[in-house]
Amino acid sequence: MIRLTLSQMRRSAGRLAAAGVAIVIGTAFVAITLIAGNVITSTTYDSIAAQFKGADLVVADAPAGEATVDAVRGTDGVASADPMTMSYQQLEHGGRTIYQGVLAKPTNLDVLPLEIVDGALPDASGEIALPVDVAERLDVAPGDETDLVRGAFEEGTDGTEPTWTEVREQVVVSGTLDDPYGAYAMLGGAAVAPAADVADWEADMVAPGEETSAMPATVLATLDDGADLEQVRTAVEDAVTTTAQAEEADASMLEVVTPDEHAERVAAETTGGENVVFVTFVLVFAAIALLVAALVIANTFQVLVAQRTRTLALLRCVGADKSQLRRSVLVEASIVGLLSSVVGLVLGSGLAQAALAVGRNMDLGVPLPSAIEVTPVVVIAPLVAGTLVTLVAALSPARAATRVAPLAALRPAESPTAARGAGRVRLVLSLLVTVVGLALLGAGVALSVVAEEPTTGLLVALAGGAFSFVGILVGAVFWLPKVVALAGRVVGGSGPTARLAAANTLRNPRRTAATSTALLIGVTLVAMMSTAAASARVTMDSELDARYPVDVVVATDLDSGPAGAPPVTDGLAGTVAGLDGVATVVEVPVTSGDVSVPGGDDATLPVRAVAPADADAVLRSTEMVEPLAAGTVVVPEELSEVYGITDGDALTITGADGTLEGTAAVTDLVDDGFLVVPDDLARLDAAAPTTQLWVGLDNPADAVAVVPSVQDAVADTESPAQVMGAAVERATFQQVIDTALAIVVGLLAVAVVIALIGVTNTLSLSVIERRRESATLRAIGLSRGQLRGMLAVEGLLIALVGAVLGVLLGLVYGWAGAASALGWAGEPVFVVPWADLAAMLGVAAVAGLVASVVPARAAVRTSPVEALAAE
Amino acid sequence: MDTTVFVPMPDDAPAGDDGHRPAVTPAVRARALTKTYGRGEAQVRALDGVDVDFATGRFTAIMGPSGSGKSTLMHLLAGLDSATSGQSFIGSTEVTGLNDKALTALRRDRVGFVFQQFNLLPMFTAAQNITLPVELAGGTADQQWFGTLVDTLGLSKRLEHRPSELSGGQQQRVAIARALIAQPDVVFADEPTGNLDSRSGAEVLSFLRRSVRELGRTIIMVTHDPAAAAYADRVVLIADGKIAGDITDPTPESALAGLDALRTVAAR
Ligand SMILES: Nc1ncnc2c1ncn2[C@@H]1O[C@H](COP(=O)(O)OP(=O)(O)O)[C@@H](O)[C@H]1O
Ligand SMILES: [Mg+2]
Repeated sequence: MIRLTLSQMRRSAGRLAAAGVAIVIGTAFVAITLIAGNVITSTTYDSIAAQFKGADLVVADAPAGEATVDAVRGTDGVASADPMTMSYQQLEHGGRTIYQGVLAKPTNLDVLPLEIVDGALPDASGEIALPVDVAERLDVAPGDETDLVRGAFEEGTDGTEPTWTEVREQVVVSGTLDDPYGAYAMLGGAAVAPAADVADWEADMVAPGEETSAMPATVLATLDDGADLEQVRTAVEDAVTTTAQAEEADASMLEVVTPDEHAERVAAETTGGENVVFVTFVLVFAAIALLVAALVIANTFQVLVAQRTRTLALLRCVGADKSQLRRSVLVEASIVGLLSSVVGLVLGSGLAQAALAVGRNMDLGVPLPSAIEVTPVVVIAPLVAGTLVTLVAALSPARAATRVAPLAALRPAESPTAARGAGRVRLVLSLLVTVVGLALLGAGVALSVVAEEPTTGLLVALAGGAFSFVGILVGAVFWLPKVVALAGRVVGGSGPTARLAAANTLRNPRRTAATSTALLIGVTLVAMMSTAAASARVTMDSELDARYPVDVVVATDLDSGPAGAPPVTDGLAGTVAGLDGVATVVEVPVTSGDVSVPGGDDATLPVRAVAPADADAVLRSTEMVEPLAAGTVVVPEELSEVYGITDGDALTITGADGTLEGTAAVTDLVDDGFLVVPDDLARLDAAAPTTQLWVGLDNPADAVAVVPSVQDAVADTESPAQVMGAAVERATFQQVIDTALAIVVGLLAVAVVIALIGVTNTLSLSVIERRRESATLRAIGLSRGQLRGMLAVEGLLIALVGAVLGVLLGLVYGWAGAASALGWAGEPVFVVPWADLAAMLGVAAVAGLVASVVPARAAVRTSPVEALAAE
Repeated sequence: MDTTVFVPMPDDAPAGDDGHRPAVTPAVRARALTKTYGRGEAQVRALDGVDVDFATGRFTAIMGPSGSGKSTLMHLLAGLDSATSGQSFIGSTEVTGLNDKALTALRRDRVGFVFQQFNLLPMFTAAQNITLPVELAGGTADQQWFGTLVDTLGLSKRLEHRPSELSGGQQQRVAIARALIAQPDVVFADEPTGNLDSRSGAEVLSFLRRSVRELGRTIIMVTHDPAAAAYADRVVLIADGKIAGDITDPTPESALAGLDALRTVAAR
């Protein structure tokens, strides 16, 4: 029997190979994912090991404080002991701000894994060595000064509470650093400052009276020459524990380990954390790809069995029993699955290795391993997954093989007819699951939007979505052919070629349904993500519009308040307005006004002025300044709450030159003062200085490029103005959504590619099956072009039906998802990402056409003589 | 063997019509038509310099033993396959000189085919199968001609049936209607009764003959069955890729005798 199986496989080698490609891609996906997980682990391990390079022992999770360090240092056999302290501080220079981790300079420089490139390590207080790239970004060289801005508790005078303030200090760059082992690459590099400075900064961040830094300490120790590691290890453990007891500190977590042991431990923790999340996340997509591959495989085997009906029947005639036939198909599937999986594994490993090589050349900052690590899991998981998926996919075709009656051998050969209709049980089950799923989906959306329970709502909606989708897919065999028939009737009107094509797609509804379904899965998911992202973006946009109504604000009054703020340099407004990407610049004058609220407290608040037309032009959300008019004082909601102002209150504002009587209009404006029209402001203060420029950009998405040019323009005038680019935040946010979407779509694209292979495969199989029929058509006058056209229309029909349905389903799921995820954030907005959807349909259409090219070439080559030849 | 008119043909004279009917322009002609398959040792001369004329409005059978080159001759005459050398004509068109596009148009507009395996499209009804060639040409079937064909072939009650719902004889009648719908200059039939029982076969053959007698069509039929050949007006005998004889107004007996004579010639 195995000989027969093998000889049959040889005859169908081409078909099996095409189907195998689906499995190859799926298993390569799995392999790459697992390998990437390993790379993350080993990169983590390497960088942690590098951090402790040079140390002989790492005292980890020790009680914080000098006492611990002293205890280690005092132990016999210890040559040096340095706490590894990293303090995060903000560095500013030339309008640029960098948030940077700063290491305390150790007494023993051997335990510092960084190397000086230029200049020297910091010696005196107030010096700092910066990573090369940080120095470049700040545009400083050794000897230059840079601002270090840090938070500190300021001792309250005469018993008042200590206050949290910002301290701005000048530090001198002593040198630049390289991180040759990538020890801090994953942490964005590390600067080095004198240990005493770092200790001071850390101490300042602790509120007076509170315990000093509660973070457990890590101490790096080196040993004297000839000291025994194990002896010293025990001695250090004892010394630290004893000291901790004396200080009444907790040393229960204490570990004294070698750097390698430490790295292993930390890497293992990471492996159980981020790594698993990453691998699981990506494996979900690999699973989707494999599911689609399974559909392609099932389809192929279905067709192969149909084509072999005669052979199978003959075998039954000569005495093969059903289980032998079933086994033959399953053995064939196992062989295909295993071979494809091996190829997929090799391909995946090769791609991963290539990616690694490219990554290392690109100098990503993270030291990547030079070779991928092939663990047993990396090998076994893809092989098992690929083989199993193929085998499971072949189960139903194998059953079909057993149903071939021995009599079939005696009937004249005819092209295989449709498999018998799917069962009633399947119909009921799929309907049930779909209905329950849709109900859950609706309930989830309602929970989120109406009951404002976003977490539960999202989970319920997710479960409902998954359920209903499974139901729809399982039921596809019932309804999809009807859709294809309908589409076929539509295109069939356009001529005999199209009508032939439409009729062909309906000859085997099950096969067409399976092929379209494979594509439907990928397209639905891609359309869903794209719709959800677009809806989320619009929902969040209105939220962001309200929070950041002005794209960019250039202000001199942010720190000091309007009172003594210098006006914005003359001409700056014009300069900024002339910049590329800037649409509008509005000069906003300000004065301090004493406000009296009827029945409320009096207060001194900034009062700014902007003309309604200007406000409309520059603000992203004009709703908040809608009431702005002469005699109206726009009051930000926050201030209204603080000062007890309600909408319609009569306010009296007194300024340097006069008094303004106005009606309060509370809006959700976000500002630190009131807003009036320029004439009203002039009544308060005829010489109110312009301390802010409100800048509107052509396209807020360009903020990342435009805002720095505004910063440069401001820096050039040497005015003390600060630039606040809310638009940058908005652009960053959008970029996050876009990037996430791109990644997810990229991962889903694998499934779509496999499905498209499925379309080609189905068409090829049909062409083989219809060899004689094609020849007949050619003999009775079908031109080569018409034959090609017929197959192209078939490919288009199969692909477009899957894609159109997928897009529609994706819209529904995407909206439901966006509504349940963001329902709390306001009215859910339903957006149709026309461009994305059109692109998807375009890709499907082109792919459908391309899928027909190879089969069409084979069909066209068939000489019409074959139609007449007896079999 | 009183009706045997087996005459070995002189090499230079084309097998033509004998004189007892008014001479008509040949519908199909072959001149020195040769076809070889394969190369070197394995080379087969399927047709070897065939000269033959087929008269318009006649039902001609090409008969010969299996492997004699009947099908090959028909394929070349119909433009389904390319000749190694020589010429063939349909009317005044030289088929051997046409490219694929012109051949397709020729087959569509001027030639009809009836196949041994019927070769109907399973997803179309009988009516759709019949009108397909006209539609492929971008036209619509002439309703009157369609009605005539369907009546003559006795298919009026079967028009909405799919091939799987028809008997072999009915399928072959649908195929004949399909071959005739475009009113082609000539219809080629390759063993049209090969897959039919003798009763359906006889039925199909009389339909072919009626198409010639009553509808004025030209039919060239390939067969190895003397009984089938007897339905024709004339039998062209072929052996070893060469025209080997000609029988006018054949009977089953004269056709069989011609075939036997070929075997004797071959045995010589
Ligand atoms: N495609 C082909 N390749 C090689 N030889 C062929 C091919 N077609 C036919 N032949 C050979 O040409 C000869 C004539 O074949 P054919 O015309 O089919 O005979 P008939 O129809 O009279 O039985 C035979 O010897 C056959 O083997
Ligand atoms: Mg033949």
